Amino acid sequence: MGTFATVVQAGLSTTIQDLGRPGYRHLGVPLSGSADPLSLALANIALGNPASAPALECTLKGPTLKFATEGKIALGGAPMNATINKVPVEFYTAINVSTGDTLTIGQTNIGARCYIAFAGGLCASSFLGSASTYQPAAFGGHNGRALTSGDKLCLAELETGSPREITPAYRPQIGQDFFIRAVEGPEFNQLTNDAQERFFHAPWTVGRRADRMGIQLSGLSMTLDKSLPMASSAVFPGTVQCPPDGSPFLLSVDAQTIGGYPRIAQVIAADLPLLGQMRPNSKVWIAHTSHENAREITTQKSALIADILPGGLFR
Amino acid sequence: MNNHDYHIAPFGENGWIATYLGNQNIVDKALFANSVADNIRSVNGIIDAVAGIDSVTIKFNPSILSAHDAHKRLEQLSEGAGMTAPMPNPKIEIPVCYGGEYGPDLEPLCNELDLTQEAIIERHTNAPYRVLAVGFAPGFAYLGPTDQILHCNRHKTPRPQVPAGSVGIAGSMTGVYPLQSPGGWQIIGRTPATLFDPDADQPFIFTPGTEVHFKPVDAKTFSTLEGAR
Repeated sequence: MGTFATVVQAGLSTTIQDLGRPGYRHLGVPLSGSADPLSLALANIALGNPASAPALECTLKGPTLKFATEGKIALGGAPMNATINKVPVEFYTAINVSTGDTLTIGQTNIGARCYIAFAGGLCASSFLGSASTYQPAAFGGHNGRALTSGDKLCLAELETGSPREITPAYRPQIGQDFFIRAVEGPEFNQLTNDAQERFFHAPWTVGRRADRMGIQLSGLSMTLDKSLPMASSAVFPGTVQCPPDGSPFLLSVDAQTIGGYPRIAQVIAADLPLLGQMRPNSKVWIAHTSHENAREITTQKSALIADILPGGLFR
Repeated sequence: MNNHDYHIAPFGENGWIATYLGNQNIVDKALFANSVADNIRSVNGIIDAVAGIDSVTIKFNPSILSAHDAHKRLEQLSEGAGMTAPMPNPKIEIPVCYGGEYGPDLEPLCNELDLTQEAIIERHTNAPYRVLAVGFAPGFAYLGPTDQILHCNRHKTPRPQVPAGSVGIAGSMTGVYPLQSPGGWQIIGRTPATLFDPDADQPFIFTPGTEVHFKPVDAKTFSTLEGAR
């Protein structure tokens, strides 16, 4: 397969992702895939690709790519400065590129991840039905790792339909602050009454650790009432773990499958795509929601975007 | 499991967790949890069914399987009803080269456990283990229980990279890393056996219930076996 683009500069952490490999947590295999699946799917749909076509996920600072042949790309997610041959590029729109063109994805101070989709999708090594890169175990994507300069990207030549206009109503509104909803986790009652109250009313700040494994929440310390020894048990993207140091950790797409810390909350499925756009120092408010209400919200949102994420938000 | 003492609670808006509270030994509990997870995983609408040491968590898609029905299935299986007969558990023997560059924590552990290297190796290879759970990292097998005399703590700070094939001990468990990954267990040896084949139907060698024996091999045999892969 011929080279479509060469990586001139790799950016901070640029990986090939799709919509992940659900259903293998019993083997210890994380979901992986785009940390903001909605933005990746929209960039693909803008090109007429299947929503899950392998694309590039760029983190905080994007790559520079030089195209070896002509084709089509589309961008989605965090509004990073993006140019082709120094001319600014619009997001969520199919863009023609020509041989020798240079795409540069810069930085942003809003959001954390931008997606570059390619008409036909990217070639990648597939594992358990997904091309997504899982770096800790080095599988999927481009040799299981983030891109480095000199890497060559080729197209998978997936069947594509017609490009689609992504109206503003569909585009995720990414801001500096995040309002997410969560239900109480299995060990919520291990928090002191005071901590239970504060968890859902605190303005949390994203700590320095904010990656595909998880996001550290700082600003307040949670106190555990009783430190019960806990046998290793399941965790998921969106689970908020509370280690003994009292600093909650919000798990994301690459999170391990089982853990031993109290699970104090679970972010509702409808709000999980927002986790991919949180960056150090973002403010996060976590609103308390009942299980029934959360199910209703996620079901409705899944129906609204059924033509973008055919599998829905329950993943 | 004779005693069906369990508790089911919600976990997220599309999940349930069953925790097994009985005082059975850890092996019986973990194997029961695994068979519940195996039985429910194929139900239409179940996204994930993950067994922990004393629990099963399911995630379901409410547009296919209602919360009520998902709860009911988990309840029935936790009562021991409707379980298919478990497959006979496979037995595997894992060759391990202990100590030295393959097991950097073996020597320091001698002090902590007040045992010689030979005694640690003997205790570790003496008993068959069962795979009680798989998780933490892809294909990582929690094997147990270990001889009480080997019980030890994890490293306070995990190593950023543990080589594939490493054999570790921590708490009352021993574990094998099928892939290079970060890890906090005390690494006492390494196996040259192939533990991960990305193209196989079952990419990881360890499945819950598998009976595992460790067999000590020297560095020369390690190299020969490694070369033969």
